[in-house]
Amino acid sequence: MSTRALAGRASVMTADGRTGSTRSTVTVGMIGGLVAVYFMVVGMVEKFDARGIIAGVIGLSFTLLAITAAGTGYMAARSRERAGMATGLASAASAGALAGAVAGALSAVTILAVDLIGEEHVRTMFQSFTPRLIEGILSFGRTVGFGAMVLFAAGVSLGVLGALLQQTAPRMRRAILTGLGTLLVISMAEPFLTQVFRNVTDNFGIPISRDWLYERSGMTVLGAILMFALGFAFSWWRSTRAQRATVSPPAGERSADAAGMRSIRGLVRGRAGKMIGFLAVLGLLILVPRIVGPFLSQVVVIIGIYVLLGLGLNIVVGFAGLLDLGYVAFFAVGAYAVAVFTSPASYLAAEGATTGVLNFWVALPIVVVMAIVAGLMIGAPVLRLRGDYLAIVTLGFGEIARVLIASNWLSEYLGGAQGILRIPPPAPEEWSLRRPQNLYFIVLAFVLIAVFVSTRLKDSRVGRAWAAMREDESVAEAMGVSVINYKLLAFGIGAGVGSLGGAIFAIQVGSVFPNSFDLLVSINALSVIVLGGLGSIPGVVVGALALVGLPELLREFQEFRLLIYGAVLVALMILRPEGLLPEVRRKRELHERAIEEEQYEEQVGQEGLPPVIETGPEERRE
Amino acid sequence: MRLLEVENLVKHFGGVAAVDGVDFHADEKEIVSVIGPNGAGKTTLFNVVTGFFEPDSGKMEFEKLSLVGLKPNRVTKLGIARTFQQIRLFPNLTVLENAMVGQHCRTKAGPFGAIIRPPWAVREEREIADRAREVLGFFGDRLLPMQDTMAFELSYADRRRLEIARAMATMPKLLLLDEPTAGMNPVEKHGLVELIGRLRAERGYTVVLIEHDMPVVKNVSDRVVAIDHGKVIAQGTYDEVSSDPQVIEAYLGKQKATGQQI
Repeated sequence: MSTRALAGRASVMTADGRTGSTRSTVTVGMIGGLVAVYFMVVGMVEKFDARGIIAGVIGLSFTLLAITAAGTGYMAARSRERAGMATGLASAASAGALAGAVAGALSAVTILAVDLIGEEHVRTMFQSFTPRLIEGILSFGRTVGFGAMVLFAAGVSLGVLGALLQQTAPRMRRAILTGLGTLLVISMAEPFLTQVFRNVTDNFGIPISRDWLYERSGMTVLGAILMFALGFAFSWWRSTRAQRATVSPPAGERSADAAGMRSIRGLVRGRAGKMIGFLAVLGLLILVPRIVGPFLSQVVVIIGIYVLLGLGLNIVVGFAGLLDLGYVAFFAVGAYAVAVFTSPASYLAAEGATTGVLNFWVALPIVVVMAIVAGLMIGAPVLRLRGDYLAIVTLGFGEIARVLIASNWLSEYLGGAQGILRIPPPAPEEWSLRRPQNLYFIVLAFVLIAVFVSTRLKDSRVGRAWAAMREDESVAEAMGVSVINYKLLAFGIGAGVGSLGGAIFAIQVGSVFPNSFDLLVSINALSVIVLGGLGSIPGVVVGALALVGLPELLREFQEFRLLIYGAVLVALMILRPEGLLPEVRRKRELHERAIEEEQYEEQVGQEGLPPVIETGPEERRE
Repeated sequence: MRLLEVENLVKHFGGVAAVDGVDFHADEKEIVSVIGPNGAGKTTLFNVVTGFFEPDSGKMEFEKLSLVGLKPNRVTKLGIARTFQQIRLFPNLTVLENAMVGQHCRTKAGPFGAIIRPPWAVREEREIADRAREVLGFFGDRLLPMQDTMAFELSYADRRRLEIARAMATMPKLLLLDEPTAGMNPVEKHGLVELIGRLRAERGYTVVLIEHDMPVVKNVSDRVVAIDHGKVIAQGTYDEVSSDPQVIEAYLGKQKATGQQI
C-alpha cells in the first residue's frame, strides 16, 4: 500500500470531516509529531547522538524518536478501537500508518523548513538547530531531502509497528514491552553496571567482563538480544503463573486431602523458604557497599534515609490514613537533636571541647523519644481534623519547624542560619576512614528495624484499628476503636521512625542547616510512598530506589535530567496509580469499579437481572 | 429487667428538634421495632444513644450506667452495638478483618504486644480470629467461605449480613439495627426475620430495630414504638400500634386516617 496515497486519502477525509475517528487519529499523529519536534528543539536529539543504545545499530537519539513514532501508532490504534468504530488488524494498521505518517511528516517538514530558512536564522531563537543536527544527524549523512524522506517513511512504518503491537494479545504485548524495556534500562545503566562489574572483579576476585555486554558506547548486539530475551521470558513466565492461579479451583472445592497436603507444603515452603530468602537478601545487602563502590554507597545511604522517612510516613498516611504534609518536622527533630547532643560546637558542649556531650549511640534513644514527643505535640491539636484540613494544618506545622530552627530566638541553641557544624561520625575514629560504607551499615540496621516494626504493627490489632480508621473513622469509633489514642499513636511512631532518618542525615553531612528542612523533604517522602504503593512496606523501598536512584541513573542526560525525571514520574502515576509494588487490596481498590462491573455482568449473565441493585462504589467514605 | 432506659431525650439541630423528649426502653431479651415516617428522628435516636451525638438534655442509662457524654467507643465497650442505614463496612478490609475489628474493644494488645509478640499477644490474636470466624459462622455458609474476600466485593445482602456480624463481634448485650431489610427482596427479608429471632434465641441479645417494612415488623417484634416529629406517638403490640389513629395519620395523612385501616 502506498503511504502517499494513504496520507492523501486521510487528508481528504479530514477535510470532509466525515469521520471523527480519522480526525482523532490525525490528532494523535500531530501530538506525536510535536513531541518528536520538541525533542529536536530542546537539543536532546543532538546531545544524545553520541550515546549508543545498541552499538552500530541505534543510538539514543533515534531510540527516542522511534519510541515516539511507535507510541503514536499504538495510541492511534487504541483510540480507534476505543471509539468502537472499526476493529481488526487492517483498521489498526491503517490508523497507525496514518498517525505515524502525520508525525513523520511533521518532523520532515520541520527539518526541511529549517534548511530552507537557513539554520543561522533559526538559531537566534532555537539554539539547538545546529548544522550538525540538520545536515548531519537527521540527514543521515546525505541531503536534507533524503533525511526528510527517511523520517517520513520511518514514521509510517514505526506507526504501523506500534499499531500492530497494540493488536497483539495482552500477554504477548506485555512480554515484548518488558523485553524492550529491559534492553533499554540495561543499556542506559552502562556506567553503573561497568562500575559494579569492576568492583566485583576487584573485591571478590570473580572476573566479570563488561565486554560481552557493552561496546565502547552502547550494548553489543548479542547483549541486546540476551537482555530482550531475558525480559521477555520473565514477563511470559509471570503471566503464565498468574493465569494458572486464576484458573485453579477455589480452595473449598478441593478434597480435604489435597488441602491438607497443600497446607503442609505451604508451611514448609513458608517457614524455610522465608528464612532462606531472608538470609540471602541480608547477605546481598551486607555486600552492597563492596559491590557498588564508595561513591554509589553515598547514594545508597541517601536512599536509605528516604526509606526511613517513607516507612515512618507510611505508618501515618498509609496505615492510619492521616495525610501529613509536615513530616519534615520530625526529620528536623532527629537531625538537630543529634547535632545538639553530639557536636562539640553545640551550646551544650564546653568551650574548646573536642567531643559533644554525648556519644551518638547514647544520644539516639533520647533523640527518638524527643521525636515521639514532637509527634504527639503535633498530633494533639489536629485530632479533630480530617482529610484536606489535616493536610493543610500539618503543612503549617512543617513550616513552623523550619522557621523555628532558623529563628534568632533559638539561634543560641540551634545556631540559627549558621546551623550546627562538626557533627562527629558515630563510631571510633579509625572506623570513619571509609565513612560512606560504614554509614551504610548503620542505615541498613535502622531500615531493618523500621521494616520489622512496620510489618509487625500492620498485621496486628493496632494495624487493624488503623486500617478501620482509615476506611471510616466514625464507624471505627463505633466498633470500639479509640480514635484519639490511635491517631496519636500513629503520629508518635511515625515521628520516631522519621527521626532515625534525620539522625543519619546529620552524621552523613556532618552539619545541619535550616534550609535542609524545607517542604520538599515532606513532599519527597510522600512521593516515595505514593510511588511505591500507599501502605505497602516493600513499596517504600522500591519507591525510594526509584525516586532517589532514578536521577542518579539519568546523570548522563545532564541538563535534561529533571525534565525526563518529571516525565517518568507523571507516566508512572498515570500507568500505575496503585504504585510500583502495591498492596493487593490497594490495587483492587483502584480497580474496584472494573471488578464490580465484571461481577454485575456475571450475575446478569447467569440469572438475569439481579433483584437488588442499590449498591455502588459511591457509598464509601465521606 | 430493664437494659436500656431513655427518658425525656432531646436533641436539636439548629432550630429542628430531631428528638424531642423521647421516652424509650428495652428490656432484656426483648425485640423492639421503632417505626415512623422518614425524618421522624429514629436514626437520630440511635445516634444519640450510641454516642455519635451528644443529647441536649435527658437521661440515658444502660444497665443503670449513664450513657450521656460517652464516646461511641465507650458505649460499644459497655455492650451496645449497631449497624447503619447506609451500609458502612470497611470496604478495603477482608470479610474476616471486618469482623476482627469488631473484637477491638474486647482485646487489649497495644503497640508493644504487636511488635514484640509475647505469647499472650499471639494467643489473643488467635482468639480474635477464632471469635471473628465464629460470628461469621452464625450466617451459615454465607460469609465464612468468603472470609478472605474484600468487603466491597460482597453482594448487597451479604454486606448487610457482614455488618451484623461485625456488630456481633463486639460481643454486645444490645443490638441496634438501622433498617436491616432496606433494599432486600421478600425472600431475603424473610431470612432476616428468622435471623433476628435466632439472635435472641441463640445469642441472648436484646434487639432494637428501625424498620419500615410492616410485615417484618409484625413478624419480629415483641413491642412496637412509633415515632413522629421526634416524639413517641404510640407504643405497644403490633396490632395496637398499627390501629392507632395517630400512627395512621403520621403515615397516610389526615383524611385517610379518619376512615381506613392500614
